[in-house]
Amino acid sequence: MLNKKKSIYVGLLVIIFLVAFSTALFAQDQEHYGGTMNAAFQMSVAHLDSDNSTDSMITTMMNHVYEGLFEFDENLKLQPHLAESYQVLKNGLEYKVKLRKNVMMHNGQTMNADDVIASFQRWLKINNAGQLVEPYFDKVEKIDNYNLVFKFKEPYAPFLNLLASPVSNQKFVVRSKEIVDKFGTDVITEHVGTGPYKFAEWIPDQKLVLTRFDDYTPSPLEASFFAGKRTAYYDKIVFNFIPDAQVRVSGVQTGQFQFAEEVPRDQYQLFEANPDIKNIIIYPDRMAMFITNNGIPPFNNKYARQAIVYALDFEELGYAMIGDSKFWRLESALHEKGNPWHVENAGQGIYGVYDPEKAKELLKKANYDGTPLVILSGQDNEMERQGAIAIKDQLEKIGIKVDLQLFDRPTVVEKRSQKTGWNIHLSPFIKVVPDPQIHQGWTGTNKWISNWDSKESHQMDQIFAELLQEVNYQKRYQIMEKLETEMWDSVPYFNILDYSRLHIIRSEVKNFKAGWQPFFWNSYLE
Amino acid sequence: MLKKYRRYKHPYIITSIIILSLLLFLSLAAPLLTNYNPVRNDARNRLKAPSAVHFLGTDQFGRDVFTRILYGLRASLEVGLAVVFLTVLTGGIVGVLAGFYPGLDKFIMRILDALMAFPGIIIAISLAAIWGAGKLNIILALSFAYFPKMARIVRSSVVAIKDLDYVESARAAGARDSRIIAAYILRNSASPIMVQATFNFALAILDEAALSFLGVGIMPPAPSLGAMITEARNYMVVAPWLIIAPGIMIILSVLSLNLLGDGLRDLLDPHLKNSFKK
Repeated sequence: MLNKKKSIYVGLLVIIFLVAFSTALFAQDQEHYGGTMNAAFQMSVAHLDSDNSTDSMITTMMNHVYEGLFEFDENLKLQPHLAESYQVLKNGLEYKVKLRKNVMMHNGQTMNADDVIASFQRWLKINNAGQLVEPYFDKVEKIDNYNLVFKFKEPYAPFLNLLASPVSNQKFVVRSKEIVDKFGTDVITEHVGTGPYKFAEWIPDQKLVLTRFDDYTPSPLEASFFAGKRTAYYDKIVFNFIPDAQVRVSGVQTGQFQFAEEVPRDQYQLFEANPDIKNIIIYPDRMAMFITNNGIPPFNNKYARQAIVYALDFEELGYAMIGDSKFWRLESALHEKGNPWHVENAGQGIYGVYDPEKAKELLKKANYDGTPLVILSGQDNEMERQGAIAIKDQLEKIGIKVDLQLFDRPTVVEKRSQKTGWNIHLSPFIKVVPDPQIHQGWTGTNKWISNWDSKESHQMDQIFAELLQEVNYQKRYQIMEKLETEMWDSVPYFNILDYSRLHIIRSEVKNFKAGWQPFFWNSYLE
Repeated sequence: MLKKYRRYKHPYIITSIIILSLLLFLSLAAPLLTNYNPVRNDARNRLKAPSAVHFLGTDQFGRDVFTRILYGLRASLEVGLAVVFLTVLTGGIVGVLAGFYPGLDKFIMRILDALMAFPGIIIAISLAAIWGAGKLNIILALSFAYFPKMARIVRSSVVAIKDLDYVESARAAGARDSRIIAAYILRNSASPIMVQATFNFALAILDEAALSFLGVGIMPPAPSLGAMITEARNYMVVAPWLIIAPGIMIILSVLSLNLLGDGLRDLLDPHLKNSFKK
């Protein structure tokens, strides 16, 4: 009897303790809510429709408003997000996807298969990644409100990776069918998604304001970068567009901003010494890509392209382009170490072998006639500008005449789209690429800006075709190795080095995770 | 005339001539004063503080800042001199035509009025943006921006002089227009032209720096004082010498030219010159 009484007392005590503990935890979590995240970003955007642009800044901001069927986690592993589960059927010809139920959208309705289908068809039509998929795609069929199947005419191995791609605007996000029907392929100006924040106000060139979506339905998975549970602690997020780096820095120093994107790396030590500020280095983050115009002499000859690799002192370029070696590392492979597609011995024997004499020999072999090489580069991006000046210096040291042309971004984009008038261009590429197929958009016959059309480019097309058909990882990896070998033999373009950007954040911001694209769910103000 | 001026010791003129001579010497003797190449990189030694090896430190490419300042100064002075030459030439011709031939006066002056309605730097930025960056384009853009004012000054001077007795005498003696303009009118208009030319020189240095600062000036990696300041902005907290040194050079050159202009104006103005007589 006494034992029974004792057990009841103990049981009651445990219950009281548990209730008190969970209440305390809840109260603590409630304390995290509130405040405004004022973030300073360097570049403004023309609009907020990611499918209609190649600007990664749109995705960065609208990741808070829209979500994908799939999202990448911290380990670059694909996770279902608005999807609950999926199956790959018929050897990669069909993808059956089950959607999460009762996911609220910003218009008060729940997300269903009709929203996904409408958004997907728009993505297929106007998004750059969608257009890559489109030739292989057959149709999307609705099974019921929460089940659908994507059918292909031919296997398209990178499909799911592309749907969740963190590269520029490639990611597929779910929008309200109502809005998609209203705008069609035009730029969307009304934003109804499923994200933890909803669109509130946009003043072009000044700011974008998002407010918390109180009815947000989080993923049941554990939070990990873009995947899993998202909690909107801030009442409001304001993305401010501040082009001057020093103004962004001062804003964080004075507390006007809680976060600043891309600040001068040379001030790292100063931020380190300031208790109010935390440095955020995202690594690996970017690659500094050296692009040649392969449609005209001298770079329509692969020996001339190889010569350039031998002519450059990559380490010296690292210091000139990026500065402190903490922020860059030499890397020949298209995918970073740790990425499942990383090829260890890419570029062996040519990458990082500084040999000006061999460069001269190869230029002779390519019948280079000494016509000055035009370097076309942007003024506004530090890496591009500094890199172009440093490359000019290095090429001149071995007797190559160089005409350096620095312009604003729109002029560079216009000029580099021409078949002639330029020979060399530098461009920052996003390093974290989930699938080798992403490179298809850049490399191959007449892809992107390289104007490449030769027997080597046709060979590269063949490699990409093999990659598309193969769904087995091991076999795809072997094709990837072949791709790297071919890349470093024909050198249509090459990675000079990987580098990191430096962001800063106020110390009172807690639980901020440094993703490839900054995001503010799950972090809070203390 | 010069003999007369030797009697005056104008402090502005003396100070400015000393500073200008020093700056001119530094820019002309650059190859003798430094062993470094202003455009060659040594990025492994970037952002080094001033030392015995690098008198004013190194920049973000490891280039010697002292060397770049010397060559940058040379570029600024070249731009200034070229602009002065072109504005005096074009402004002089247009001003004389307007002042000497009443038939042309209204037509020319209305065009000049329209041009002068826009601030010079706006015209220069617009032209440099259209023509593209580069030293020659800056010289042409700045000359175009400054010549209306010079033309106006020359015109006023010509109008004031052309009806004076000695000009009338020359005309009565059968002198041709070209001789009257060259021997009588321009010679006696020299003072205001000289003063304005000095101000234009200073303004050209300042505006070249501004254009280079905005990215439409002298193309990198060629050194220019304005472009050096632009590039230094991102490093001014960790490497302040990058912005201070070219800044001081711009101040010195512009200040000395302005002092010279003020001094010449005081000296050549008959109402003011007696106050400086000692």
